[in-house]
Amino acid sequence: MKSFQHVSVPTIEGAISTLKDYKGKAKVIAGGTDILSVLKDRILPEYPQALINIKTLSGLDYIREDKDGLKIGALARLSTIADNPVVNNKYRALAKAAKTVANPQIRNMGTIGGNLAQDTRCWYYRYPHQLGGRIMCLRKGNGPCAAVKGDNRYHAIMEAKKCFAVCPSDTAVALVALEATVKIRGPQGERTVLVSAFYQPLGNDLKDNEILTEIQVPEPPASARQEYIKFALRKPVDFGIVSVAAVIKVTDGVCHESSIALGGVASAPLRATAAEQAAKGKVINETTANSAAEASVAGARPLSKNSYKVEIVKTLVKRVLLSGDSE
Amino acid sequence: MAKKYRFIGKPAPRKDAVEIVTGHAKFVGDIKQHGLLWGKVLRSPHPHANIKNIDTSKAARLPGVRAVLTHHDVPKWKAGVPPHLPMLDSKVRFVGDAVALVAAETEEIAAEACNLIDVEYEQLPAVYDVEEAIKPDAPQLYEQFPGNILPRGLPFFGPELLQEVIMGDVDQGFQEAEIISEGTYAFENIPNPLPYEPPGAIASWDGPDTLNVWVSGQGAYLDRLSVYYTLGRKIKVNAYGGPCGGSYGSKGMSLPVVLYSAILARVTGRPVRVCLSKEEHLNTFALRLGSRIHGRVGMKKDGTITAISGDWLINTGYYSSATQGMVAVGCGEVQLALRCNNWDLRPKVICTNRCASGIVRGFGGQELKCALLPIVTEAMEKLDIDPFEFFKKNYIRPGDGYYWRDSNWYVYRGAEYSKAMDKGAEAFRWSKKWRGWLKPTSVDGSKRRGVGVGVHGNGDTGEDTSEAYVRLDPDGTATIYSSICEHGTGQRSCLCKMVAEVLQLPLEHINITDSDTRISPYEFGPAGSRGTYAIGSAAIAAAEDAKQKLFALSAHALNAKPEDLETEDGMLFIRGNPENRIQWRRGMGVDSTVLGFGRFEADFTLPNFMMTFVEVEVDTETGKVDLLRVVSATDVGQIIDPYMLENQLNGCLGSAGIDSALIEESVLDTNTGRLLTANMVDYKWRTFAELPEMQNVILETPFPSHRFGAIGIGEIATAPGPSAVLMAVSNAIGTRLHSYPITPDKVLAALGKIRGGDEK
Repeated sequence: MKSFQHVSVPTIEGAISTLKDYKGKAKVIAGGTDILSVLKDRILPEYPQALINIKTLSGLDYIREDKDGLKIGALARLSTIADNPVVNNKYRALAKAAKTVANPQIRNMGTIGGNLAQDTRCWYYRYPHQLGGRIMCLRKGNGPCAAVKGDNRYHAIMEAKKCFAVCPSDTAVALVALEATVKIRGPQGERTVLVSAFYQPLGNDLKDNEILTEIQVPEPPASARQEYIKFALRKPVDFGIVSVAAVIKVTDGVCHESSIALGGVASAPLRATAAEQAAKGKVINETTANSAAEASVAGARPLSKNSYKVEIVKTLVKRVLLSGDSE
Repeated sequence: MAKKYRFIGKPAPRKDAVEIVTGHAKFVGDIKQHGLLWGKVLRSPHPHANIKNIDTSKAARLPGVRAVLTHHDVPKWKAGVPPHLPMLDSKVRFVGDAVALVAAETEEIAAEACNLIDVEYEQLPAVYDVEEAIKPDAPQLYEQFPGNILPRGLPFFGPELLQEVIMGDVDQGFQEAEIISEGTYAFENIPNPLPYEPPGAIASWDGPDTLNVWVSGQGAYLDRLSVYYTLGRKIKVNAYGGPCGGSYGSKGMSLPVVLYSAILARVTGRPVRVCLSKEEHLNTFALRLGSRIHGRVGMKKDGTITAISGDWLINTGYYSSATQGMVAVGCGEVQLALRCNNWDLRPKVICTNRCASGIVRGFGGQELKCALLPIVTEAMEKLDIDPFEFFKKNYIRPGDGYYWRDSNWYVYRGAEYSKAMDKGAEAFRWSKKWRGWLKPTSVDGSKRRGVGVGVHGNGDTGEDTSEAYVRLDPDGTATIYSSICEHGTGQRSCLCKMVAEVLQLPLEHINITDSDTRISPYEFGPAGSRGTYAIGSAAIAAAEDAKQKLFALSAHALNAKPEDLETEDGMLFIRGNPENRIQWRRGMGVDSTVLGFGRFEADFTLPNFMMTFVEVEVDTETGKVDLLRVVSATDVGQIIDPYMLENQLNGCLGSAGIDSALIEESVLDTNTGRLLTANMVDYKWRTFAELPEMQNVILETPFPSHRFGAIGIGEIATAPGPSAVLMAVSNAIGTRLHSYPITPDKVLAALGKIRGGDEK
């Protein structure tokens, strides 16, 4: 692959100022499981001069709980999160989502920050430059979306307008259901943003020289059931075609509140608010689960080859509502 | 039966195991040569275009670049059958077609230079569908092939290549039928055999007339011959093959990769390596044939097939490397599985603007069966015939005949396979699981299970020619001279076992040369399951010849006649008197070696057999299909090595095999001509974490092949599976599916839950 400089930095401040020094010609590398394939296939027109290495930066891989909830450093490995007792005990949807990512090697390398900030898997976007040239599109700055008239089996079924790529992250779906926020550091200081707002139609909310540093998860109700169900052709390796995360508080069979997030349907994990409403105050049974499932896809506008995803969303929503808290 | 042998039938470690697991095996990417350059290919962005102008000046000026070549700069070397594909042309025919070649000091510089070449194209309309391609106004890929139809013939397989199955009287056959099924099925998902090591080659020249090539392949002679003919039969070609990281047929020949390295080496005067990247391997090398049939099958209530007719449309992509040969073998193989007197099966090989289909195990037969058998099963369904009983009734038996690839009629002289079928069915519990057509085996909520069965056989277990030498040294060791490459099956180690058995030498005392056409005699290479019988026969004959020569040389030392001698562990003795023994060196002398020669010539009378039973579970709410269980049943005459055989049969899932019914698929975007599955996330390849339960039922009824009574089987392990899976899923959900792979959208559409999906 084309060479680049590899710059290690001792602190997050150092990373930000180094990013600044490169004037947009540098990228951050943590686990490297996504960025290296982006560079190897040269899918983007700009190739960075440098990768700023933050993976050896100390103190940003914590997982700790305080009175506000869970705080996870951006460099915490997916395997560590999947194995962490507190996450498994109180934030199970996240633990379950982390466990479904790729395979053990990727989970041992990949960080939660990288899992959230990874680039989309749209196969037009990812088309390797060496095989006749990359495919340009709006997400890369300019061009039509080839998926609209092309093979869009893995593309968005909701809310998309000019770009139909979907957010590939498993953990993001769980974090949206858990109403988590991310902390972002940049030259101007620190800000927080809801995970549900972190994704935008053409990418994510990270601005020039900003780095995602922490994930904050409020403590969910203790008695709430938490689920993450992922549909993929292959259990290992694959990104979800559709996934559903849910935090559901059910007492005596009645759903008091729920938070349901849909993955693989849009450029961001979407809260299925209509489904949540449909379930609220109802006894959870086949009938109410079905009506919530129908409600979850009320806004779906599938493309030529992905109406099957609508069916799968319905199935998964029904299943998260009806299932027990499975491991 | 194995017990009468010392080595045959008993597990032995592979000879090359240690060097592979310790990283010492030298694959093409590991070879170091003085002054070795890297070659790279600039590839076309358009599926069909004329090159109006190429400016290579910027690339040529990049430091470290040693050559930049376009179609203006290269000889008129043409690959393909018949020769039609210029190595570089003024026209490109698929996205990824070669536009220019670069040689540079490093791989990175070569890649960078490709980016600096400016090309001006005149885009042409492209065609991807076989039926569109043969329409009068379709875009034409080659001037010499009007209608995009390739001419018949593959000279290497003889002057009269089998290019159709026409016999008897189909009109009368259909009249005799009690039911006729008719329809269109397609196996067009063009999966990639995808061996782990991508194709690669190194070339260097000794003067203007001698070319040396090191290729990742199955056997050096096919590389030698294919390059020799492509270069106009004027150049001496020495070919070398090392360990090969898998092939599945696809690296039987590695044109045009070898040609790229050859021309770059010629121009630069230095050795040049061209190794495809994984992405190039996925999108530019060799896919399975596309296969579509409009077919008609007549059948009687007792399962007798009265007539088969059809148009078989074969999509070979932008060129044919050996497709006509695959059609020939497919046409032969279909007769082995379907006993029928009246045939009218007419193939057409059609080129389209996508990556080429190349040689892949299953070699025409898998592709044909995947499309034809479902039509046959529709007739079975109408007559309520159990497919297992049907295949048992209609598979070839000793004394039955068939046309093979050279258009000659052969009569099967091997074992009756029905015993293996029964044992397989018993292991699978077929009679308990089969509930009738379009009926699930079991239903549990949204999960429905179904079963299916498929069958395949290939008469190529004795195809083509093999030669070998066996050299005996006075120190009690033997060396096999063969140009077979180790492409993953363990066949080189199996040859050592056969020679060890003949010579009664410990396996450690047997060696086999590297694959090298300068040293070893002619060898077609391991293909079509020919390793055990064809290559084995040559090695056995060479060992026997060497043994006789050893006896002749040594008789005087024991004061006996040569025919009374025996040998064991490098010792000689008179038969019946093993206590009184002398070492080889005392018989032959320390100043001599003994060389035996063996040759095998084609024998198409011993087709092999494989029956595959599968059980699937379908989630009717998501459309997901899980493969639960696979039972493979066969009869191999005699097991040479049980572990290697098991591994061959367990290889039935991947390499464009059973999984091409479920997940393996190259997705072509017909708006842009691009294959979208250019990485190992989007190209779906089963991982070890999701293996189904697998069981192999292997019988050993001796075959009249060579002294061990064995025939090969490996190549066809994949072939019966895909159509069996299609049958199983159709049974599980109670409605028929018509194309591969069976993705969730097709299942949900077949169930009426969504529109679209499984388009005929």
